[in-house]
Amino acid sequence: MNFNDLKINFIRFILAILIIFFLLLSFGINPLDVTNALFIGSFGSFEKIIRTILVWVPISLASIALIYTFSSGMWNIGIEGQIIMGAIGATFIARSFLGDNFISPYIQLIMALGFGGFWGFICAILKVKGGVHEIFSGLGLDFVASGIAIYLIIGPWKRKGIASTSGTEIFHESSWIPTVGNLDFPIFLFLIVILVYGFSYFLLSQSSFGLRLKATGINFFATNRFNFSSERYIIYSFIIAGALAGIAGFSQVSGSYHKLVPTISGGFGFLSILLVLICSRNIFLTFIISFLFAALIVGGSQLQIKLDLDHSLVGIIQASFVLSWLILQRVNLEKKILNIFSKVLTK
Amino acid sequence: MKIELKNISKSFGSLEANKEISISISGGIHALLGENGAGKSTLVKIISGQLNPDKGSILISDKKINLGSPKIAINNGIGMLNQNPLDFANLSVLESFLVGNTQNSFISNHRKTKEKILHLFDNYDIEIDLNEKISSFSIGQRQQIELLRLLYNGVKIIILDEPTSAFSLEQKRMIFDTLNKLTKEDITIIFVSHKLDEVFEICDSGTVLKEGKVVYSMNKPFDSDTIFAKMFDDTRTKNKIKKNEKRSNKFKLFFNELYMTKHKTFPNESLIEFGTVLGIAGLQGSMNDRLVKNLFTRDFSKSGIFFDNGDYIEKNKLYYMPADRLERGLFQDLTLKEHFALTYSHINKYINWNDIAIYGEKKIQEYDIKATLTQKVDQLSGGNQQRLMLSLLPESPGVLLLEQPTRGLDYNSANKMWDMILDRKKNDIAIIFSSTDLDEIWDYSDIIISVSGNTIMDIENKRKLKKENIARYVSGIID
Repeated sequence: MNFNDLKINFIRFILAILIIFFLLLSFGINPLDVTNALFIGSFGSFEKIIRTILVWVPISLASIALIYTFSSGMWNIGIEGQIIMGAIGATFIARSFLGDNFISPYIQLIMALGFGGFWGFICAILKVKGGVHEIFSGLGLDFVASGIAIYLIIGPWKRKGIASTSGTEIFHESSWIPTVGNLDFPIFLFLIVILVYGFSYFLLSQSSFGLRLKATGINFFATNRFNFSSERYIIYSFIIAGALAGIAGFSQVSGSYHKLVPTISGGFGFLSILLVLICSRNIFLTFIISFLFAALIVGGSQLQIKLDLDHSLVGIIQASFVLSWLILQRVNLEKKILNIFSKVLTK
Repeated sequence: MKIELKNISKSFGSLEANKEISISISGGIHALLGENGAGKSTLVKIISGQLNPDKGSILISDKKINLGSPKIAINNGIGMLNQNPLDFANLSVLESFLVGNTQNSFISNHRKTKEKILHLFDNYDIEIDLNEKISSFSIGQRQQIELLRLLYNGVKIIILDEPTSAFSLEQKRMIFDTLNKLTKEDITIIFVSHKLDEVFEICDSGTVLKEGKVVYSMNKPFDSDTIFAKMFDDTRTKNKIKKNEKRSNKFKLFFNELYMTKHKTFPNESLIEFGTVLGIAGLQGSMNDRLVKNLFTRDFSKSGIFFDNGDYIEKNKLYYMPADRLERGLFQDLTLKEHFALTYSHINKYINWNDIAIYGEKKIQEYDIKATLTQKVDQLSGGNQQRLMLSLLPESPGVLLLEQPTRGLDYNSANKMWDMILDRKKNDIAIIFSSTDLDEIWDYSDIIISVSGNTIMDIENKRKLKKENIARYVSGIID
């Protein structure tokens, strides 16, 4: 990402925020109050920052996952299902004989990776071998995963005495993702995400693998001339995406909830699709915008408390941010503003 | 219908595509000539309203028209026929007329419209069932239908952008007949082409563009030498065929008997010397391109290429260039640099962008590609895209499989292309190419494979053949 892109993205960001401010004003809400409440709600205390990070982690992982499938030209709608399967994989270990062992989280991580990756792989195979469009199979697999989760929660994994959709038994503490300090900073998750960001940046911009992925997405039919097969790279992208989404599920189940609940994905998969629409394949931008979205989600609870506004306002803000961004991208207003700036500066 | 262009200029960044172009056409068929990149397409887009010029004006029947809007252009009677038919393949002929209809109100009187259309087709001696789907017609017929559709909508000036590049001879005849009839109805035709023989055949006047400027205006009778001199820097130089040095290695080629006629002069699996050029001649739509592709996909039930010891030539030694550059050959949205990186992506896991840049610069020079490494390939002209495809093939010896290597290129670009292809001859195992241009086949091949429809008519050494034979074979006639 060069400096000029950075400037354009920055201006676009400001413009999108301004549009949202106008929107809020038209509802009769003071945008500054909202900003304040959201900020306090997400960064007001160390505990809140940790909660923001715990939301940022799965959103980041899911978004990076989608960057891989986007690169190969695929719409990975199945991301939700992949997150859920990752969570199921992790829960499986947490409830097994390993549950009270200190190595449990690490085995969970591997299981989540495998489960999510497998779910992605199914989608890829259906696409490549069966000719099923990835949107349809992805959507189908989302429902299947969600069904499996509910079945497990009210069936084999139900709490003693009651079967309720409020979730399974809380995991043994050894199965929780390791943290540091008495405020429980999720250091392990934090490191994973930073690693995934760094590794993905390298892989997508500096490696032959990344270039081939991108080439596949642009022209499915030209890759055989360059001695590789589009189909294979589509499968790779789905496995990687599924595995990363699986880690997101692991983070949800053993980092946030410490149990499996039916809504374990938190809708973060679909949210990430919106996010990647904004960031396209830009890892750096994904890092920032995913943090912003996480802050919005966590800070949203303050809207109710401080301003007596419904939490759903967060959804409106997120959606209008994405819409404004996409429209601005199309209109290309930023370039004109930059030109005016540079003219003023040279005078 | 008279059309006048006055001082039209258009730049894209630092590139001046059109410089002060003034042309006046009073009627008939006017040729717009020039090599690839001379500014023809830009000018045509300005006339048809798809581009807004930086400067200049257009007058139709001495009346100035507004520019930069396709709608205004259409309302002023300017219509355009694209290289590939831009029609609705899934509609019937009648429906396609109704869709673009500007004359009728919301509720149209089908019967009356149908009569009008039938009458129009009758006038031009075209027999077509109006209820048939567009997709069932040949490209030539579809272009004819498009022409009539434009006419039906009241077009007075028709621009044809290299309309014959995808045509067979017969299809070309059909279109030329229609065009000649059109001029009798006071319809002006602007004929964009780089094929001089076509221009000679049907045009009444013409303009030669070079580097965005008008360099020559002409009227019938045309003088081909002057036109050539004006179009290209260097005068007409016929390509010298590079003679083979004898190579000791041999390879074999076989085609499934099912695809061959009984008439056979060149037995399957004959030994062929390394460095031989095999031309596959066939009309547009015959299996000539498919034969090339089959060799690449290694569908051994149909054809195969192998060493004299019987081993099939490995997949990574088959270098393939498809005819449709952007659909199957290149990645529109990738830069040149990324393309060069892809060529070596099977060797290097990690991309060293600096090394790639050095390698790419070298290739760009060597293959005379007019572009920078950071440009995306869809910004390149056809000739440059084609040379890029060639430069992307690995340097190590292999079998070049080229589908119509000079399709859509002008004389100079095509010559340049062949120079580069033949340069590889001394190292490569074989060069196998398909073409619909019999001259090209005749000029460059050592062995000629003639194809008609889905049948191989003949395989023979060129020295045992006459050019007329090939012309007969490709149209399905065996003596």
